[in-house]
Amino acid sequence: MKYTKELVSTLIIILITFLLAAVLIIVAKYDPGMALQSFFYGIFGSLHGFAEIMVRATPLILAGLGVSVAFSTGFFNIGAEGQLYMGAIAITFVGVFLPPMPPMLHIAVAILAGFLLGGIWAVIPGFLKAKYGVSEIITTIMFNYIAINIVGILVRTVLKNTESALPYSPVMPKSLSFPLLLYPTRLHGGLILALACAVLIYIIMKKTTIGYELRVVGFNKRAGTCSGISVYKNIVLASLISGGLAGLAGVSEIAGVHHRLLEGISPGYGYIAIIVALMGRNHPVGVIISAIGLSALQVGANSMQRQAGIPTSITSVLMGVIVLLALGKNIMFSGILKKMRIK
Amino acid sequence: MPNLQLKDIFKEFPGVIANDNVSLTVEKGEIHALLGENGAGKTTLMNILYGIYTKDVGTIIWKDEEVSFKSPRDAIESGIGMVHQHFMLVPTLSVAQNITLGIKDKGYPFNNRKKVVKDITELSKKYGLQVDPTQLISKLSVGARQRVEILKSLYRNAELLILDEPTAVLTPQETDNFFEILKKLKKEGHSVIIITHRIPEVIKITDKVTILKDGKNVATVKTSETNENELSNYMIGRSLKTFSSREEVIESEDNGLVLEHVGLNKKLKTLTDISFQVKKGEIFGIAGVDGNGQKELAEVIAGIRKPDSGTILIAGKNMNRASFKTRKKAGLAYITDDRHHEGLVLDMNVTENMILKDYDQEPFSKKSIINYNVVREKTEQRIKDYDIKTPGVKTPIRLLSGGNQQKVIIARELAVGPSVVLACQPTRGLDIGATEFVRQILINKRNEGLSILLISADLEEIVSICDRIAVIFEGRIVGIVKNGADLDLNKIGLMMAGHIGETVNS
Repeated sequence: MKYTKELVSTLIIILITFLLAAVLIIVAKYDPGMALQSFFYGIFGSLHGFAEIMVRATPLILAGLGVSVAFSTGFFNIGAEGQLYMGAIAITFVGVFLPPMPPMLHIAVAILAGFLLGGIWAVIPGFLKAKYGVSEIITTIMFNYIAINIVGILVRTVLKNTESALPYSPVMPKSLSFPLLLYPTRLHGGLILALACAVLIYIIMKKTTIGYELRVVGFNKRAGTCSGISVYKNIVLASLISGGLAGLAGVSEIAGVHHRLLEGISPGYGYIAIIVALMGRNHPVGVIISAIGLSALQVGANSMQRQAGIPTSITSVLMGVIVLLALGKNIMFSGILKKMRIK
Repeated sequence: MPNLQLKDIFKEFPGVIANDNVSLTVEKGEIHALLGENGAGKTTLMNILYGIYTKDVGTIIWKDEEVSFKSPRDAIESGIGMVHQHFMLVPTLSVAQNITLGIKDKGYPFNNRKKVVKDITELSKKYGLQVDPTQLISKLSVGARQRVEILKSLYRNAELLILDEPTAVLTPQETDNFFEILKKLKKEGHSVIIITHRIPEVIKITDKVTILKDGKNVATVKTSETNENELSNYMIGRSLKTFSSREEVIESEDNGLVLEHVGLNKKLKTLTDISFQVKKGEIFGIAGVDGNGQKELAEVIAGIRKPDSGTILIAGKNMNRASFKTRKKAGLAYITDDRHHEGLVLDMNVTENMILKDYDQEPFSKKSIINYNVVREKTEQRIKDYDIKTPGVKTPIRLLSGGNQQKVIIARELAVGPSVVLACQPTRGLDIGATEFVRQILINKRNEGLSILLISADLEEIVSICDRIAVIFEGRIVGIVKNGADLDLNKIGLMMAGHIGETVNS
């Protein structure tokens, strides 16, 4: 019965979103029929569309998992964006400064480095919160700006490609590239990494004492303390895992999509990851579904822009509305659900 | 003609009928008890009268007029005052400021303070409600705060006073004083409704009793025509249980729990020089008015706070610097007084809460992997053993009643074979059935030879099951007495108010 309720509320959200989209499109004097057609063509029309959705979903799943682990522990990590960039910096350093290695080892080293650097970027706010009670919402946001600007400095100095005038790093060696999964599309091995992480996080959070402690601290710190569970240790641990996963999103973007470090590699994945975690109810499966859903929305919107000339900013409006509806659905729809006698 | 009439009040909350056609009639100058267990709908009914909730169906007639108060302000203006169980006072303001809070008298916002103080002094003399109007609330005792609350209502010309569990926080002496005040109020023609579940007090002070059970009227009787047994039968459907007297204390070398000169926070004197031993096969009670260091004492013993001085021994081992987990391994079980914030994780289900203290122990987990099959089996077993009423093992603990939540905690704490039980207010907020269950378990565990430390502000509870009773006042043990037929409650009452008593060691 729980699932019927979920399903019905999700359908209501989709319905409201489409109605609102239609209104916005009509008000902006575009053809809604054409818009709808190009939207769905973008998503289902070709193999390329499917691959594009997955390519976008990959960093969202990784960063979204990270945010969800932090949220489950009561650590409001808003800094996935910065942690993603730190992960990207880490793999670039591995590519530029470490000697050549066999591909598997090279990737493994890069993943480890990305996880660690992203993790450290979140552990600093985590430590400040656990030890001194500094609001992690402020510190993680501030750390985003620092990370983004460190990238700006690095691609103009230490990591700059000396053969080019542009602020890029050199192209990564072949051994640091994820394999393509569905040639000729851009779909790359990062998706497998993301899904593997989802499975791993599911096991850690639901089946181990580590996850149990994290969740107890997230729900009720006081009860944790009274049962001998260290709030300090678990907040630091949650921030490490959280930042590490966001760092992997950065690794995956470099190894799978850009193949070198440059500014603006993330179109706000770290922020959308927050929405992904919220809508996915901090559950790995939910995170995967909502990451793919939001990617599809964006891919469809891009197609709408290309084919019908409708600005993608409409999608941003819709995304905001979806978040509001998803977060408030239990209260907003309770009347409707009651009338439909769904419990 | 009665002063107040509630007729067929019906109120439903999502999933619960709180008041099912309840009626109540109160005459002028009458002290009327509203008697019932927790959750019987007493407070809901009074909140409806006072304008905090709105009724679904029913009529309220107050002084020959049908009324329906939209907010407490309406009720106050019509001459109805309510003193809540948790006082609504601003501790940083003076008595006079609290009493006049929100009143816009002539000259507002520049009130004539001298006149206010004079008026309050007159009022307090008239009713015997001794308070100094210029004193800060934070400096007052609980009894004095209650007098301020009553004055607050009288200052607003309340003719009917509703008192929610007024004696719950008072010492026996303060309670006597409070009864005197009630008599004066009655003499001046005020009506009083007392919400309570304490039968002896009902017999002692009231004129009439209305008993509620499960949101329904059970009976309305004249106090002079009834007795404790009858009221108990009305309230819970049977007579109150009396508990078996103690068996012999088992003396042994490690003597369960020992505290030697324990102190916490020397500046504030939260706890000073606390020493006692809880022997095997003994229930040792700590009595005292709430907020005299009981909570801190429990936390020092449990290892949640570290003492500044002194020694704590559990089963003979020094535990001063030990963490909660180490103490637990040494045999300590801790039943906290705050189920919702400390004892349970409300957003988790019954199974997950059942392992809150032993999730990292075999057989529940091995090498960090939790074995949920074992956990479920054990949970099902304990649900059976402790008669926990729950729809299933995966039910969120939030949905269980207070009594069943407490049973989950007790099952969890006692099932692993502790040697020392630290029970802090274990029956607070429970109905009588659950309360008796908890007390019986503590007695059974004592008979099995466990050392039990019972910290409770409910003197009745302490007296009914403890073997020895210590009284705590402002962080000090002011005396330890042996429980028995010759126990002098008056003496304990005096100690609860800070008089130094004797100390008995066995």
